[in-house]
Amino acid sequence: MSAANITPILEAQHVSMQFGKFKALSDVSTSFQTGSLTAIIGPNGAGKSTFFNVLSGAFPPSEGKILFNGVDITHQKPYEFARIGISKSFQITNVFKQLSVHENVRVATQMQVSRFNFLKDARSLLSTIESADELLERVGLHQLGHKKSGDLAHGQQRALEIAMALACKPSLLLLDEPTAGMSPEETLVMMDLIRTLATERTVILVEHKMKLIMGLCNRIIVLHHGEFLAEGTPNEIQNNAEVRRVYLGQG
Amino acid sequence: MAGLTLELLGMQLLTGIALGSIYALLALGLCLIFGMLGVVNFAHGAFFMVGAFLGVYFLGLTGNFLFSILLVPIVTGAIGLVTERFLIRPLYGRGIDYPLLLTFGLSYVLIEIMRVSFGIEGLPSITPDSLKGSMNVGIGYFPKYRIFLIAVTALIILGIWFFIQKTRYGLIIKAGSRDPEIVKVLGVDVAKVWLLVFGIGTAIAGLSGILASPTRSVNPEMGIPILAESFVVTVVGGMGSPIGAVVAGLLVGVVYSLTSLFAPALAELSIFVLMAVVLLIRPQGLFGKSGFMS
Amino acid sequence: MQAIFQLISTHRVLATTLFLMVFPWLMPYEALAINILIFGLFAMGFNLLFGYMGLLSFGHAAFLGMGSYITGISIVSFGMPWGAAILFGVIAAAFGGLVIGFLAIRTRGIYFSMVTLALGQIVYYGFYKAEKLTGGENGLRGVKVDPFNIFGFKVDFLNPLIKYYIILFFVVIAIWLVSRILKSPLGAVMEAIRENEKRVSACGYNVAQTKLLVFILSAAICGLAGSLRALHLSIVPIDSLHYLQSGQAVMMSILGGMGTFFGPFVGAAVMLYLEDVVTSFTKHWMAVVGLIFIFFVLFFPKGIWGSILEYLRVQKGTPK
Repeated sequence: MSAANITPILEAQHVSMQFGKFKALSDVSTSFQTGSLTAIIGPNGAGKSTFFNVLSGAFPPSEGKILFNGVDITHQKPYEFARIGISKSFQITNVFKQLSVHENVRVATQMQVSRFNFLKDARSLLSTIESADELLERVGLHQLGHKKSGDLAHGQQRALEIAMALACKPSLLLLDEPTAGMSPEETLVMMDLIRTLATERTVILVEHKMKLIMGLCNRIIVLHHGEFLAEGTPNEIQNNAEVRRVYLGQG
Repeated sequence: MAGLTLELLGMQLLTGIALGSIYALLALGLCLIFGMLGVVNFAHGAFFMVGAFLGVYFLGLTGNFLFSILLVPIVTGAIGLVTERFLIRPLYGRGIDYPLLLTFGLSYVLIEIMRVSFGIEGLPSITPDSLKGSMNVGIGYFPKYRIFLIAVTALIILGIWFFIQKTRYGLIIKAGSRDPEIVKVLGVDVAKVWLLVFGIGTAIAGLSGILASPTRSVNPEMGIPILAESFVVTVVGGMGSPIGAVVAGLLVGVVYSLTSLFAPALAELSIFVLMAVVLLIRPQGLFGKSGFMS
Repeated sequence: MQAIFQLISTHRVLATTLFLMVFPWLMPYEALAINILIFGLFAMGFNLLFGYMGLLSFGHAAFLGMGSYITGISIVSFGMPWGAAILFGVIAAAFGGLVIGFLAIRTRGIYFSMVTLALGQIVYYGFYKAEKLTGGENGLRGVKVDPFNIFGFKVDFLNPLIKYYIILFFVVIAIWLVSRILKSPLGAVMEAIRENEKRVSACGYNVAQTKLLVFILSAAICGLAGSLRALHLSIVPIDSLHYLQSGQAVMMSILGGMGTFFGPFVGAAVMLYLEDVVTSFTKHWMAVVGLIFIFFVLFFPKGIWGSILEYLRVQKGTPK
């Protein structure tokens, strides 16, 4: 356990989210320590995706605050989240389908170097190309640089997404169901990748493959009906009576 | 200002409401099509124009205004059904711009067909005999037809509201515009609903046309500025909001009318400036939902 | 065949320039060639926003018209030299792009198309009413360029061929600029935004700012087309500003191939040539154009050039 006076990298304070008449999140408060690898779990409809979206800046909560290293970032726009070092991958694969794999990552790495330049030839920006190459190697896609990203296998597209998420050099990485739709082999590869990435930065996942989480994360948060239910180490959660009741046979 | 009296203002207001009634009806049709199909009907002005031409034609042929008012929307609705079934449906799943583009091309064809059928000069507009002349509205004498116009469009809009809110079909349309999946679960063929709603939308546009025909010149190009004006109403009211369409329609009509009184040269410009102001301070429109898009 | 296309693609500005230099001899008369140059440029500017960035604007005639009118007014009312007049036209259009773009970009998707159409009409009605400066309904007349000398060579604007080459000079500069923009980092971001706005945002880009920048560049290029048109016609018709004129840019882009480099010019050439031919034996050109457009939207959305490129790509078996 960390000492109480070390600022958590991310903190949610009394976060509620209302969509019209539907309350997706009710007064959820929790924090994430720097360097941790946390999973957010819960049965269907628990509000995991909504919570993920609020944490990653997709939209601000109806109530409550989000703090990043102690700073209130609740109402910042998605691109501002990315610029301060919070990066995410999407639940439904969100790559630039008509562009090549390499171009996809290059768009992401370019952001760090040169945004509005419209006269320079992009191919002359060697640093962005090198960074793109590096990232593709990290996720194992360097052989497929020239392929149209829309033509990649599902697991490869998800790996590409992670490469793009890494391009903004995030200190906090949020992954929404990173292994969704993957074959067992692809899942193992992704798990290894996440494990490596977690050694260099804080990672938060939304997942519901329980076996995966048990072997991967050092902390789990459980949501239920939009409310905070429990948190703890994988062992603690496994033995938590309430969690078992809520899941009853799921997992 | 010499000659400006409360009565004059009141009359101009009434004129604005009459104009606004047409706008409200048009925008409502546009809104239904957009709300249900996600399509902006760029041929809406053309259907309005077709309605006006057919209205004058039928009225000239039969001498019966009521009959013409019933027949015109059936015809323009039918054209709409054919359009949706064979031209727009193939485009679903392609990208949001395609149906829009198609209806734009369609408007060109409709304009030309009317030119060929009725001549490039258009037709002289006809006011039905029973509605000619003016009547005393307390503050002065006001054209009978415009009173009729306000009353009839109010009735039609109420009828549409009733249809959407209270009937089974209306419920399907409302539900479908929020979630096509739910509609499928209810055992309804979504494609049929799209077909129907597009037809209703073009029927409304045609109806607006015939109702407006006694108040303006009927020519093949009359729908061109109307399209822009219905867009203004939609932006001001809020896209996808039927209430917004009606309220904004009346508002735009009144703004146009009052500006005609005080600064006639700026009348057309005024409604567009209104739209620009709304865009600046409340981009989602008066009744639109914040942050909603595409 | 493939090799030729590859060569053209790599040196596209040069290839286009060379082709356009001999173009007048391929056309039945120079005025048509000049029109194709001007509207090709108009479509090209429009295509930056629509084809490459995915934003369908129905108000781009405002920029064509602003370029024309400001250039015209500079010459007619203020007696400026034509070079300065062109510059003012472009600047005016760019400024228009800034204002209209700022308002329109607050909206997205199909809403954007509606809003740009309506905003464009503000410019239309504004210029219509400012009769003293613009000539109102009758348009602006008397935009004349006096003969001048370059290196002892007498340049007479009334000579259609000379006029063509002067206009070509400016068009080539603009084409070069467009090519550079597309190859630049901004070009990559533009296409990414078209594919997936949210993703681009998640990478840290301020998408709204980027859209506005491209809107302004697009407006400036369309403004240049307008400026050149004023000099070409010696008049500025009020319909230059109407949304039907915007629609023409849309049609040319779709016809030629949106999101491709040569597409807009191909579209402009085909459409204007066809109009020339068809109007000689029927007055129902509007229906013909409408039907052709509907046909392309339904069956050939990639356009002429886009379909050719797609065919070659499939033949070659590579993605891009």
